[in-house]
Amino acid sequence: MELDLTETQELLRDTLRGFLEAEVPFSQVRECEIEKKTDTRLWAQLAEQGYLGLPFPSEMAGGDGGLVEAGLLVEEVSRRAALVPIVEVMAASLTLKRKCSGATQLLESVLSGSAIVVPAVLEANDSFESFALEADAEGVLRGEKFFVDYAEAASHHLVVARDAKGPALYLVDSAAPAVKCEPIETMGRTPQSRVRYDGAAGTRAGGADAVDYLIQIARALTCAQILACMDSSLEQTVAYTNVREQFGRPLATFQAVQHHGANMGMHCESSRFLTYEALDCLERGDATEEQVAIAKASLSRAIPDVVMTGHQLHGGQGYIEENDLYFFTIRGKDRALAWGTAEECLEIVARSAEEKSRWL
Amino acid sequence: MEFRWEPEYLAFRDEIEVFIHEWRTPELLKEQREREGAGGGPILTRYYEALQEKGWMRMCWPPELGGQGLNPTYRFIMVETMEYWQMPYGNLTYTSVAPALAVHGNEEQKKRFLPGIWNGDFTFAIGYSEPNAGTDLAALRTRAEKVEGGWIVQGQKIWTSLAEQSTHIWLAVRTDTEGPKHAGISLMIVETKTEGITIRPLPTLSGFVTYETFYDNVFIPDENLIGPLNGGWNIIMHALNHERVGLSPTGNLARNYDLLVDHLKNKAPEKLADPVVRNRLAEMRMELQRHRALAIRNAVTIAKDDVSPGQASMAKISGSELRYRMTNMAMDLLGRTGSLTAEAGELAASEGRQQGNWRSSPILRFGGGTNEVQRSIIAARHLGMSR
Ligand SMILES: Cc1cc2nc3c(=O)[nH]c(=O)nc-3n(C[C@H](O)[C@H](O)[C@H](O)COP(=O)(O)OP(=O)(O)OC[C@H]3O[C@@H](n4cnc5c(N)ncnc54)[C@H](O)[C@@H]3O)c2cc1C
Repeated sequence: MELDLTETQELLRDTLRGFLEAEVPFSQVRECEIEKKTDTRLWAQLAEQGYLGLPFPSEMAGGDGGLVEAGLLVEEVSRRAALVPIVEVMAASLTLKRKCSGATQLLESVLSGSAIVVPAVLEANDSFESFALEADAEGVLRGEKFFVDYAEAASHHLVVARDAKGPALYLVDSAAPAVKCEPIETMGRTPQSRVRYDGAAGTRAGGADAVDYLIQIARALTCAQILACMDSSLEQTVAYTNVREQFGRPLATFQAVQHHGANMGMHCESSRFLTYEALDCLERGDATEEQVAIAKASLSRAIPDVVMTGHQLHGGQGYIEENDLYFFTIRGKDRALAWGTAEECLEIVARSAEEKSRWL
Repeated sequence: MEFRWEPEYLAFRDEIEVFIHEWRTPELLKEQREREGAGGGPILTRYYEALQEKGWMRMCWPPELGGQGLNPTYRFIMVETMEYWQMPYGNLTYTSVAPALAVHGNEEQKKRFLPGIWNGDFTFAIGYSEPNAGTDLAALRTRAEKVEGGWIVQGQKIWTSLAEQSTHIWLAVRTDTEGPKHAGISLMIVETKTEGITIRPLPTLSGFVTYETFYDNVFIPDENLIGPLNGGWNIIMHALNHERVGLSPTGNLARNYDLLVDHLKNKAPEKLADPVVRNRLAEMRMELQRHRALAIRNAVTIAKDDVSPGQASMAKISGSELRYRMTNMAMDLLGRTGSLTAEAGELAASEGRQQGNWRSSPILRFGGGTNEVQRSIIAARHLGMSR
């Protein structure tokens, strides 16, 4: 068991953190929120600096890392609450690389920043179990997807469609006239769309196992996103309660306040373990579906507790949008609902109820 | 980062499990239940001898204290495995008194006490707490006055567990009433049968019986003072670092879960098929992994010889509070069966373990450093909140 980052990983995290803190002031994030747009400037920088290639082999000009490195990237980007499709692109492109064939050229464009590929999975029924959207024998797609994150910013959609063999992944050029995106507004304020595919031409990229892989890694990477929200909320709360005084002393010196902080801290600590354990095991190929579901259920349950406690300890200061706290509150809870809610994930866990529990 | 156990630890776990299956007979379990962790009894004595022979009780002690200096991860693996199978692996005499003696005792004292401890002839009760000194232990008042050749002790202890079954008491006494209260405490060993000691049983919520001990003009000879005069606080606070792994194990919680599912499978399959019940079970599985995360996190930090009071406190809080939540949920799922005790025999679910563990959960929360204090430790030392 090695729970610390390697020196290289630590360096990566620190460099990323420094770079993002300098390049993504929260004022820039607020602007993107108001204009409802993706931070394309940041995206171009991430590509240019080679960060998008972190979990890809060096033959592709990648960083030879794996899902842990991808998780670190997601975490750092999410600590800035940046509006970029980092989880979406990582999940889609890693699935293309690892479970599909024939997308080499597209992947090169993705890593260089000239193409963006995002998954389109859920439909009106909001379920990962059944898909109505169909692909015919020629690969033509008909149907509708909901909650497609960053659909409009993307050049390609990796669409889950049902074909003769069952659920499969199809690559679709999203600029085609047969693809129509209609923005939907959510609490998380991240760009999202409802997308119609009215006879859009798709290329079959992979089958059911690829669909499954996509969901697993997107679920685990979303944990890294939630973790960043949790940690940021806690850090800000500790800093604030150390300086804010009432009754002539810092709030942090009240035992009730300390205990709220400790509860937040425990959530952060167990969440970090579960997130990176899931990513590391997925990378090695020995993660179970249950394990990933437990991580996502646990973080999805923890995040509202953490951010709402953060608000409690900030009082009115944390309630106004001038304060940065809200980013992590709304993004955190929104992502708790994405890629499997706590309830959906617990249902997966319930399927293994009879299995012996894991204690080491 | 690498989230998997190295092969040597898995091999060690397997080795322990082989040993456990050899010894885990109904007779041993019965003796263990009846003696409530007091040690002794013919089967347990032989079992402990076998454990000693394996060298597992002291394997992580530093070589200069007679151990093998193994990585504390080995102890973690042992504790978790023993806890899962509910097998004894030492008590406070081994984990608290023996290491303190090995570090703070003089040569003569080590010669006099350690062999007896290792062969099971000597067992110790811990006499720290008093009616007015609990969480604030340094407030203890039991007084030792210097006399020719020794000390005369006057006072009262409470929760002196195993006093009745032990040969000795590891006693914290006040030897100085001036100055800061923690700087006037000394540690002494007193034989339980010494004149002037009376012992009164205090049956508890869990069924375990602890004791009050009264000291009326009890003489303790000079040679039984451990460490420097007025240096007791350090000894009380000192514990071998590696003993802090596995203080809040996942093993026994996991075992409770597995036994609950076994019971439902065999006796109430219709419940096990119920989606609401399965959802509760899923919740327990999730909570178990949350706790496992904190327990492993703490163990791995200690194995690196790092000290992180915050992480130890997190594991302590999480394990003790989860024990309550899990057993509570289990009893709710079992219905009235959940209330049956071991005495109900066949009818009881897993020998009444859920309700038994439910009843004993309070001590884990307020004992060993109450959780309120642990949370403040996390706030101050892990998060950096002002005190
Ligand atoms: C079955 C049993 C066996 C025991 N065995 C032994 C033994 O062998 N040897 C021995 O020496 N002792 C033993 N103990 C004693 C045990 O260590 C004490 O019970 C423990 O230290 C708590 O002290 P207390 O019971 O006096 O509670 P108190 O100190 O009165 O605390 C009660 C509660 O008050 C609150 N509280 C206290 N201080 C604070 C604070 N600073 N901040 C916030 N809240 C606070 C907490 O909620 C705490 O749980 C045993 C106890 C029991 C019940």
